[in-house]
Formats: sequence, C-alpha cells, structure tokens
Amino acid sequence: MTTPLMTSFIEDFGSSLPRLLDGLQVSALLTGGGLTLGLPLALAAALAQMSSVRWLQAGAVVFVEVGRGAPALVLLQLAYFGLPNAGIVLPAVLSAITALSWTTAAYGAEYIRSGLAAVPNREIEGCQALGMNRRDTLRFVVVPQGLRIALPSLMGFAVMLFQATSLAYSVAVPELMSQAYSIGSSNFRYLNALVAAGLLYAAISIPTTWLSIGVERRMNRHA
Amino acid sequence: MEALRTVLLGLPMTLGVTAGALLIGTALALPLTLGLELRRGPVWFLCRVIVDLVRGVPPVAWLFILFYGVSVGAVRLSALSAGIGALGLVASAYLAEIFRGSLKSIHFGQAEAATALGLSRGAAWVDVIGPQAWRTALPAYTNYAIALLKDSSIVSIVGVAEIVSRSGQLSRTSDLGIFVFVLAGAVYVVLSILVASGSRRLHRRLHEAVAV
Amino acid sequence: MVNVASNPALSTQAGPVILPTGAPDASMVRVRGLAKAFGTNVVLSDVSLGVEAGSVTAMIGPSGAGKSTVLRCLNLLERPDSGLIQIGRHSIDVEKGILPANLAELRRSAGMVFQSFNLFPHMSVLRNVSLPQQRVLGRSRAEADEVSHRLLERMGLRDKSSQYPNRCSGGQQQRIAIARALALEPEVMLFDEPTSALDPEVGAEVLEVMRELASEGMTMVVVTHEMRFAANVSDQLVVMADGQIIECGDPHQIMSDPQHPRTQRFLKAVLDR
Repeated sequence: MTTPLMTSFIEDFGSSLPRLLDGLQVSALLTGGGLTLGLPLALAAALAQMSSVRWLQAGAVVFVEVGRGAPALVLLQLAYFGLPNAGIVLPAVLSAITALSWTTAAYGAEYIRSGLAAVPNREIEGCQALGMNRRDTLRFVVVPQGLRIALPSLMGFAVMLFQATSLAYSVAVPELMSQAYSIGSSNFRYLNALVAAGLLYAAISIPTTWLSIGVERRMNRHA
Repeated sequence: MEALRTVLLGLPMTLGVTAGALLIGTALALPLTLGLELRRGPVWFLCRVIVDLVRGVPPVAWLFILFYGVSVGAVRLSALSAGIGALGLVASAYLAEIFRGSLKSIHFGQAEAATALGLSRGAAWVDVIGPQAWRTALPAYTNYAIALLKDSSIVSIVGVAEIVSRSGQLSRTSDLGIFVFVLAGAVYVVLSILVASGSRRLHRRLHEAVAV
Repeated sequence: MVNVASNPALSTQAGPVILPTGAPDASMVRVRGLAKAFGTNVVLSDVSLGVEAGSVTAMIGPSGAGKSTVLRCLNLLERPDSGLIQIGRHSIDVEKGILPANLAELRRSAGMVFQSFNLFPHMSVLRNVSLPQQRVLGRSRAEADEVSHRLLERMGLRDKSSQYPNRCSGGQQQRIAIARALALEPEVMLFDEPTSALDPEVGAEVLEVMRELASEGMTMVVVTHEMRFAANVSDQLVVMADGQIIECGDPHQIMSDPQHPRTQRFLKAVLDR
C-alpha cells in the first residue's frame, strides 16, 4: 500500500526537483534581500527609538509597530499593489523584498533593542568615566555587544523570514511554494509536489534553528 | 467608509479562524509537551520530530498540503477547515515549545516538595506545577496568539473570506486601491495592541495575586 | 578640611597654578556644598572636601555612608542636586547647569577605577586601553598602542595584551582598568573600592600598584575598606557616615584617637575583627 505511494513520491520528487530548486533559489534571494536591506534598517530603528529627538523616536516607534502589527501578507500586497499607485513600478521580486525588509526591520529592531538594553550599565559608566561621548560609547561598546547578544534571536528570525517568503506566492513571485503549486496543478499530484516543497523548507529551517540554539548556548556559557 | 465596512465584515472570520486554530493548537500542544518532557525514549523522539518538522515547514505549505493535497475519497477539505487545521497544527508545535519552556522555569524543588508531601504525580501536575507553568507561559502564549491572529491572514490565499481576502476583493473591484490594504493593516495593528494590553493586565493581576 | 602635604616633589611640579576659579589653595580636587537626595532620602548633605595635588585621600566609613556617591559625583557619574566640583583647572557648579563640553573636560581630568573593573569584554586588553586614547585624546592607533604597551608592562601585564579581559584574573583585570585610566593622563585618579571584588591575595597586587602610583606623586582619592592601606598610604583620611563627613584629617591621628563617637564605633568594629 505504502510502497507504490512512496515510489510515486520519489519519482515525482526526482523529476520536479530542478523546478523546485529554481523556486528555492528565489526564496533564498527573497530571504537574503530582506535581511540585507532590513537588518541595517533594524539597527537604525532601534537606535532611533532610543534617541532623545522626539520626532525621530516617534517615527521609529510607528515604523516598528506597523511592521510588526500588520501581517507580512498585508505588507506584501501593499507593496505589490501599492507601490505602482505611488508611481514606483518594481518587478514582483523587488516589491516582495521591500515588504519583507520592512518586516525584518520591525522585528529586528525589537531584538536589537533588547540586545542593546542587555549590555551592562557598568560598561556604559566605564565609558562615561573615561570621557567618551555618547556616540563613541554606542559605536564601540554598546552596539557591537548588543548585536552579539541579539544574534541568536536574529538567526531565529531569519528562519521565520525564510518561511515567510512562501507568502510571496500571493504576489506572483516564482518562489518555492509557487513552483510546487504549479507542478501540482500540471500533473494533479498536488500532495507529492507540496510535500517535496515542505521537505525542502524543513531541510533548511531545522538545521538553521539548531544552529541558532547552539549559538545561544555557547554565548550563555561564555557570559 | 465602505472600505472600513468591508474590512470589518472580514473581522469575525479572522477572529474565528484565530480562535479555532488556537483551540486546536492548545489541545494538541498538551500531549506534545508531555511527550517532550519525557526527555528520552521513542515517544519523546517522535514528539521531538513532530515539533521540529511542523515548525520547519511554513504555514502556507501546511495550508496547501491540507487543502490541495489531502482528500478523503473524493472529498476535499473545505478552505476554512484546511485553514484552521493548518494553523492549529503549526500552533501546536510552537505552543508545545512555549509550555516546555515555562515548565523548565519552575524550580525542580516544587516537584520534590509535592512528592515529599505525598501528593500523587497527577495531583502534583494539576495542583502545583500546572498552575505555575500556566502563569509563566501566559505572556508567551498571548504573544503567540497575536502572531496567530496575523498568520490567520494566509487563509485568504485559499479564499476564506476574512479581512485580507475581502480587502483584496474590494481593492480589485473599486477605485479605493491601496487604501483598503492600509486600512486592513491598521485593523490588525489595533487588534494586536488590544490583545497585548489585555494580556498585560491579566498577567499583572495573576502576578499581584501571587506576589503581594 | 586639613590637607597634609606629603609629597613636596609633586607639589612643586603641580606648581603655582593660577586657578581661574580663583581658588587660593593648591587643591587639585575641591568639592563644596555637595548635596543629593532621592525624595526624602538624603544621600549626601553639604559635603565639602579638598585634596591637595600629589596627595592621597582615603575615604572610609560604614556601607551606605555615601563614600562612593561622593566619588561618583566628582566626575558626575552621579548628578548631585547642588554643589561645586572642581578638578584641576575645570570646575562645574551644578546649580548653574552642566555644559557637555565642560563635563567632558572634567571627566577627562579624572581617571576612575571601579569595583567591578568595567572593562569591555568584547575587546582585547590592548584595545581596552588604546581605544579611549584614540577616541578621547585623538591619538593615532600606533601612538595609543605604544602608550598602552608601556603601561601594561608597568602593571606586569606585558604578555596579556592580546588576551580578552574575561580570560584574566580579577587582579589582572583591575590592573588593566588602572592602565586604561592612566593612559588618558588624568590629573586625579578616583578609586571606588578597587579591591572589594577581589580575594585578599589578589587584592594585594592591586594595592601594591596603587602604592607605587602614590609614591610617584599621583593625586588619588580612594574609597576603601582596606584599613591598613588607608592608614599607611593616605595623607588625608575622610570618615563618612549618614551622607556626611564626620571626621577628616591625619590618618594616624584619626586611627589612634578618633574624636567622633560614630568614628570610634566604626573603627572599633573593623579593627577588632
């Protein structure tokens, strides 16, 4: 009973793998793009939230709260349908990256902010006593250590982002999920194609999650 | 105004999907948590694999697998039940990890004390460990509920008429365009803030009851 | 406010500095009317103190007396409600407001050593000592490293420069912290219970370094529980209790013949142990 099912799955997996890998590449591109654009923004938003300049602080809070509060799917649709309205016409992949960067920046800002807050106050006092100004204190002492503390959470978030790229299916980006769906709709063996895609997601997500847990344990040991 | 009406029309469905998935997720998470607590053996291993595998695959993929891939005879799952099922499945894995984390935070002395007092293992769980674990798990639990509220938007992809799906329809059939999505986003932000502040209040109450 | 000049070599070096604040004496550190309160809880009330150039002042007293607070007010890590603080040529009147530039200068002229070292764990020992020189004094990296190497060598830590602080013993870390502060060429060194976090044996290494510094003529203010150090190395002993200075003067005299009953009680408690 299971054997023919298994054989059919393995055969389908083999024949659809090239297309699935194409899709995976797009998923990876979306993840990489989202992180590359989003993480610097996240740091900027975290610092802006700590700023004493009122409007900067308020702007960052709104940016972060909206980015976290609105579903990634809504942000994707907003970028896909909305940017053209604003006169910006981007290829679907780029508009998806824009939306995912916002999500990354918003969640990342929270992780980074709590990382920065975890830097012991006595080190900041050390800087003050040495006469270092606020900017140097942030740049050389607080930010490098805060980012390190935030690293495991950021890695965990990267896995979430990678999974969230599957939402780009809804805005016509040919990522892994879209490929699996279109393979399924051409041979009507949806289950095989979709499970294959699911396994590919898992094959990347699970080890990366383990890695982030390992990094966290290691850092706790050294702390 | 019409936009707001449309978006709000989707609200009951969004809340319903979220609540259904949370319910299923919590119910499935409890046995998984117990399995993870065994820490060795075949049952533990099975639970560990389930939790990791479920979390390793995106919710959309689970949704598609249930909606397009699973059929009982010629009958396929409805979009709504596939949606609630997929989100509930994913929720069970994340919630199991949350529950496990809160169990870990309870001092082992509590279980020892319960044993020393002659409580049965069941009584120790129900009267001593469970209530404490629930209290420590609450913030993470509500955080997950908020995440689930937003994740529930994915069921729009298979056509469940919740907030995002109705917004999409209206935006395609009217000249309101992007504004509808902005509004939909705003509704989610407001909902998240409401749930978060409610949970903070509840947490404070539980905490005060114990601490003061 | 008795200042006991003990190091003539240094007082001549510090020389007849004309103080723009119009200070008539040769005080390197002067505090007048320092006060601080949290609500109704008075932490410091009307603390005044002078420290002569090249001298060592030790501050002792029961915990919670406000010794560390006075020290932390000197470089404004703690902000007093009122009072005048002067270090070297820089002075700040708290009530007149604190200008950032003024604050930076004041802090630059005072080096501080903390109970918990407060080294930067993500930087090598060398970077710990060099970075502040580069950022605060504007030295080049090469210049800074040269100074750092010299100071680390002096602290007996030559082979530690590429290590990370957490790999060093507490005594080594504290000596690194001293080197880091000295590298900025402060006019005064402030020590906030520098040996309290250390085992006695390790603390002795640090005290030895401090003794050397004192003999070289460094102006020092030391909050400490080390009675022997206070008695033997300091030129001026300050006894604090309940946010006030209750006795101040020659250490031997105070140790052998304390005037204030509170001082008598405190010294009896610590010395009889």
